[in-house]
Amino acid sequence: MGTNRKYWKGLDELHQTPEFLENSKNEFPEELSVNEFLADEKLAEGSTGRRDFLKFLGFSVAAATLAACEAPVVKAVPYVVKPENVTPGMPTWYASTYYDGTSYASVLVKTREGRPIFIKGNKDFGVTHGTVNPRISASVLSLYDSERLQNPTIEGVKSSWGAFDSKVSKGLNETASNGKKIVLLSGTEISPSTQGIIQEFKTKFGGSTEIPKNEIALDENGEAIESETTVEEGNVVHIQYDTISFNGIRQANLESFGKAIIPDYDFSKAKTIVSVGADFMNSWLLSGQYTAQYALGRNPDAKWMNKHFHFESNMSISGSNADVRGMIKPSQQGEVLSILHKEIVGSALAGVANTLSENVVAKVKEAAKELKAQKGHSLLVCGSNEKAMQVVVNSINSALNNYTTTINLNNPVNLFQSQDDKMSELIKDMNAGNVGAIIMWNTNPVYSHANGESFKAGLEKVKLTVDISQYADETATNCKYVAAENHALESWNDFNPKMSHYAISQPTIRPLFETRSAAESLMTWAGISEYSGKDSTAYYDYMKVMWEKYGFPNQTKYATFKAYWDNTVHNSCDNEKSPVALAMPFNGNLNSAAKQIASIKGGDLEIIPYLKSSIGDGKMAGNPWLQEMPDAITKVTWDNYVTMSPVDMKASGYSEELGQESPSSVVTVTVGETTFKLPVFPQPGQTPGTVGIALGYGRGENGEKIGKSAYQTGEYGAFLEGNNGGKVSIGANAFPFLQAGDFAIGTISNANEVYNLACTQTHSTVMGRNSIVKETTLDIYKTQDAGAYNHQHTLHSGWNHDEKPISEFNLWDEHPVENVGHRWGMSIDLNSCIGCGSCLISCQAENNVPVVGKDEVRRGREMHWLRIDRYYASDIEPAVGTKGEGYKTEGFAGLQDASDDPMVVHMPMMCHHCNHAPCETVCPVAATTHSNEGLNMMAYNRCIGTRYCGNNCPYKVRRFNWFNYPSYRKFTEVNPAQDDLGRMVLNPDVVVRTRGVMEKCSFCVQKLQSTKLVAKKEQRAIVDGEISTACSEVCPTNAITVGDWNDTESKVRKSTTDKRAYQALEEIGIKPNVWYKVKVRNEKNDDLAALQVSHEAPAEHKDDTHGEESTGEEIHTGH
Amino acid sequence: MHKESAIREPLILGHKTYHDITEDVCRSIEGKAPRNWYIMFGIALLVGLYGVGCILYLLGVGIGTWGLNKTVEWAWDITNFVWWVGIGHAGTLISAVLMLFRQKWRMAINRSAEAMTIFAVFMAGMFPLIHMGRLWVGYWVLPLPNQFGSLWVNFNSPLLWDVFAISTYLSVSFVFWYIGLIPDFATIRDRAKSPVAIKAYGLMSFGWSGRAKHWNRFEIVTLVLAGLATPLVFSVHSIVSFDFATSVIPGWHTTIFPPYFVAGAVFSGFAMVQTLLLVLRKAMKLEAYIHTKHVEYMNIVIMVTGSIVGVAYLTELFMSWYSGVEYEAYAFLNRATGPYWWAYTCMMSANVLSPQFMWFKKLRRSLLFTFFISIIVNIGMWFERFVIIVTSIHQDYLPSSWSMFYPTWVDIGVYVGTIGLFFVFYMAYVRYFPVLAISEVKTILKSSGESYKNGSAELHHSDDAHTAEEE
Repeated sequence: MGTNRKYWKGLDELHQTPEFLENSKNEFPEELSVNEFLADEKLAEGSTGRRDFLKFLGFSVAAATLAACEAPVVKAVPYVVKPENVTPGMPTWYASTYYDGTSYASVLVKTREGRPIFIKGNKDFGVTHGTVNPRISASVLSLYDSERLQNPTIEGVKSSWGAFDSKVSKGLNETASNGKKIVLLSGTEISPSTQGIIQEFKTKFGGSTEIPKNEIALDENGEAIESETTVEEGNVVHIQYDTISFNGIRQANLESFGKAIIPDYDFSKAKTIVSVGADFMNSWLLSGQYTAQYALGRNPDAKWMNKHFHFESNMSISGSNADVRGMIKPSQQGEVLSILHKEIVGSALAGVANTLSENVVAKVKEAAKELKAQKGHSLLVCGSNEKAMQVVVNSINSALNNYTTTINLNNPVNLFQSQDDKMSELIKDMNAGNVGAIIMWNTNPVYSHANGESFKAGLEKVKLTVDISQYADETATNCKYVAAENHALESWNDFNPKMSHYAISQPTIRPLFETRSAAESLMTWAGISEYSGKDSTAYYDYMKVMWEKYGFPNQTKYATFKAYWDNTVHNSCDNEKSPVALAMPFNGNLNSAAKQIASIKGGDLEIIPYLKSSIGDGKMAGNPWLQEMPDAITKVTWDNYVTMSPVDMKASGYSEELGQESPSSVVTVTVGETTFKLPVFPQPGQTPGTVGIALGYGRGENGEKIGKSAYQTGEYGAFLEGNNGGKVSIGANAFPFLQAGDFAIGTISNANEVYNLACTQTHSTVMGRNSIVKETTLDIYKTQDAGAYNHQHTLHSGWNHDEKPISEFNLWDEHPVENVGHRWGMSIDLNSCIGCGSCLISCQAENNVPVVGKDEVRRGREMHWLRIDRYYASDIEPAVGTKGEGYKTEGFAGLQDASDDPMVVHMPMMCHHCNHAPCETVCPVAATTHSNEGLNMMAYNRCIGTRYCGNNCPYKVRRFNWFNYPSYRKFTEVNPAQDDLGRMVLNPDVVVRTRGVMEKCSFCVQKLQSTKLVAKKEQRAIVDGEISTACSEVCPTNAITVGDWNDTESKVRKSTTDKRAYQALEEIGIKPNVWYKVKVRNEKNDDLAALQVSHEAPAEHKDDTHGEESTGEEIHTGH
Repeated sequence: MHKESAIREPLILGHKTYHDITEDVCRSIEGKAPRNWYIMFGIALLVGLYGVGCILYLLGVGIGTWGLNKTVEWAWDITNFVWWVGIGHAGTLISAVLMLFRQKWRMAINRSAEAMTIFAVFMAGMFPLIHMGRLWVGYWVLPLPNQFGSLWVNFNSPLLWDVFAISTYLSVSFVFWYIGLIPDFATIRDRAKSPVAIKAYGLMSFGWSGRAKHWNRFEIVTLVLAGLATPLVFSVHSIVSFDFATSVIPGWHTTIFPPYFVAGAVFSGFAMVQTLLLVLRKAMKLEAYIHTKHVEYMNIVIMVTGSIVGVAYLTELFMSWYSGVEYEAYAFLNRATGPYWWAYTCMMSANVLSPQFMWFKKLRRSLLFTFFISIIVNIGMWFERFVIIVTSIHQDYLPSSWSMFYPTWVDIGVYVGTIGLFFVFYMAYVRYFPVLAISEVKTILKSSGESYKNGSAELHHSDDAHTAEEE
């Protein structure tokens, strides 16, 4: 068929003239592979002639046509006109700010093809130093909640904005002309622009002429705050109300220093931190900022490491990280403060009894001693909302000279301005029929107010009720007009969280539904602007004017407003220039404080409402990621429960068992008139005589539409049916308890029912397993060799039985990654990890981890790629992971149960990417293999699902797709990937796994690859610090370091060669690429010292501890 | 002819002739099946179909319909697999090893034992298949040339070794069994009356004519296959044990596993043979061929292998203490005293204690007691596998992941279903196949038949000799 005839284009070619040769080279100036192809000499000898070519062409066209007939329908809409700044496949990051009434953070939002899909902290700008809590990370999912309000509604009926606005305006005008009161009710409003709008609103409807509290203008000393005194009440009032009130601090500061403020705390300067019931790493004030600052003081290699005392009743995140933790009842907080006051200031609080146990008193005295020792560099904080307590705290901090270092009265925090008294008045007013109209935003008092029932009753007496809300929630369903609100990621806003700090949030997506921001709604009703639809820039323009008027003149960095504005929007804020802290004379009345504290009566059972890091105050109860997030302490998902001391539970005969088929006892909690039933959870560290109940549950009890995940689902995935035929909400609402103050006194009785809790961790001790968790004290760390607290495992080998470290033994050939190219490694500092769970949520967001629902979690099938193991010490462990003296007599049995007052270790656990991975050798089809960069990879497509790898994984981090989570009916109500809208949050870089395959942490390989690509395009090596994983990015304490282990100068390499570094379960010989670093507690621990210091001395060891060999202490003999 | 000592108990009781043997075995094939057979077959079929239903549900919905979780990723599936493979061990041992050792008593039981083996291996083989998350791509475990480039199986994986071991074992056992059946099929063919039976048995007997050359080849092939099958007896369960032994999980990672698993398999296999044959001999009136002496022999095997298993259990316990590895120590302590203590107790008493009764001659010759013990051993061996698999992984290295395993109705349904299916096969076999190796049993009639041994056969000598030659 072929022909060997040659053809040429012209004589030039035939003669191969120099010009022709030159031109032919220049035809493709870039070195494309085509050149190489054409340069192939054999090409000319090819036998494919024209006829053959046409035959092939015809055949291929026919084949392609045939194949095309069966092509699946792909639902993808291409960009016909490519938007500027959007490159398909490339993420775009926007700096923004998150504020929801309780959490505040400067964030970066990742968008892909115009969809926000990931939120992390902004490490470069803002007061929160790049920290985010799990709720902030998870808020991106709420954007795609199909149960959000999609239109404004009037009496529950869909309406258009035009009709809605005219009715509301008419109602407002009528109310104003009737002289009736118009109430604006919101959570603490820290937006200067919104406050401007409120001001104009007031002016329009005859309000007061109050100058906004958070006026943008600030003079040198921050004196602008004084202007708030000139208030003249009109018939429009703005009341701010927060779910969690910190009013006590403001009141106490007013009394002590003449300023009703919350000061700025700086935990990074505090060498001694004493907290009396303040969970400052989770829920107390600006917890994100404090967490980051606290972590700075936790480096055992630095000049000093802070010492943290914690006195509390519930086991909180902060308490679990304390060096010394004392268990007190909430009614005893005053007693602790009294002892501190006596030891530090000199005088005890008159009339305050001392019912504390000796153990606690000793700890309090030690705390006092340490506070005094670090005078001027210490900090005492208290979680109580009682003014009297905070006055005493102020007195002690004053005596400690802390007001020039760790506490700054000149930089007040504007968050949490809850006006509790005005709120109570409002409820009275409403019920008395004195309120003509109420407009609410960023608040849900029917649910979250302690007196929500009467608020609800009051609403019925208000003629015009307007709620600006994202959901038809408890309050919205009781309002006539519900203005559908944007998700925060859809709106512009500005914030003034602290006096010296201003920030901006920018929209990262056009509103998905017919919604608009609260500010825009207020502007429309105040007549400032007309609403012009989704793309309205009214509020944006308003903000810009405000910033030009107030912000721009107060800075010197930028010459033009445009530059100033662009940069501020680009960075979301400027970094804080904090005013200097100046001490002020303490003027508190200690006598009346003492009197008031003495009057606080405890009870046999004190109930403490608290906030979880996952659910918080319940705003995002419909967020499945948060519901499925194991609580930082209890590891329970999807539920609310009563935490009780195991001692009390034993006495009452409640079931302490946890597990799939070990249901918990249900108790009836009664406080005054309120009763409800909740399961009871055994919580080591809970003070006997107290119980904790998390807030934020029991949402949507009347079947409100607040997101599918707020309701209980059954074994086959359908919603459980309640008594009235509606859905059953999760848990019970504990907000009514807040009526009584910090805690409520009540009773608990056995309801003689059982209830299944879904717990991801049911065994709470580490069984003295020293190669999993290693812990030591600062003293030992500073004075002893690494062998004392971080001994290496060794084996004997050869004729002479030489001891060699375990790392020198290899069952398999070494992977070539160990010295060539990249080798991705991770180091996790157990000393920094506080167990908050932000990493877990960001991992879920980054890697499309499915949500499986309560029933599946109960069956031990949660899919989280990253989990945080939480271990308590048992009675015979002087520290977590050590076997104390008691082990000789009690053996394993003594290690089984957690101590009633345990030490806690949080340990993030994910795939260790072992270089000798046990999972890789057992897979029959080689679906999990090792990359040449040290990663243990999963080829989902190749996996046949024998689950052998999962069984053989010593860390138990592999997750099997037991069902088809993206489509099986059991997960319809819980897994966002089953919802057309919810699917939009999926990360397009990560595949959604099908049923029957194994999955696990990939070290965010998609991020590694894209970083490599960027570096490659720029023709440079990867810079250390450029590599990050989702977990390392969001860690508020920077506990996780990732990088190239083969880069000997990298942070991760240095971190892993540190004397604190060890590999969990190293002795199995699997050579993981994850290192942990020994936790160092800043405490005195004689038992541990006896163990670790003697352990180090070989001579002694032979006599004493070698006898333990039989019980399994030693295959390792490294000392 | 081979002479046998007079004090040795005869292997064929009563006054049997060659013709009687043929009649006794063919009776059930040629006659009508009793009502009980239909009832039993019906029950087995129903249970089997229920099992098939459960498997279909499992395949339709996902492995999540079982009670497995992130910690215990194998439980009943692999337990049942190993249990069935173990049961399938006796057949080849009896037919191959005992043959090489010239144990004539095996002739009464080898046919049924081999049939049991094959059906048990069918059941066993099903579990590794259905336990896969994606059965439809299960063929990827075979080293087939493929379009995925150089994608090949992982020869390091014991699961892959399993694939080879089980398939080899199944095919060799099947061939061995079938070769033995050929002369007997020919006998049935020759006696058959209905054209269908003539055709069917004619096909199955491969044109056997009984010529000396056929017999010669038959003997050679049998011997060769016996030689081939003997190592398989040891290899299959050794390899199955590698699934555990090569892992890093304390309680699995044990060098003692291969011999211990083989002993356990023989133990459970013989127990199952006892269970089946004690019923079979009664139902099919084969008491003359399978009698107390056979049962006693098998009981001795059970006793010995049971004791080996017991020693293995104790060795494991000792090693866990002596090794000084804390995970190992904990794993075994937990096994014996942890939340699954009841399974461990079950296993210990059923597998170690119960066979010890066989030291008493009276007990090991009691058919009723043997039947009882054989059931106990079957249960005990199921628990052994459950204990090894579940108690080792449910509390392994990281206490944070410790969990329990609770079976679901699908777990139970699939397991019970395989028992049903097994009996469907077995009942069909009993009905249509010669349950005794006719030709083989005839070879021992004169050396080990009761009437020949004590001389009473002399009376009928001439007749019998005559008929026998005609047969």
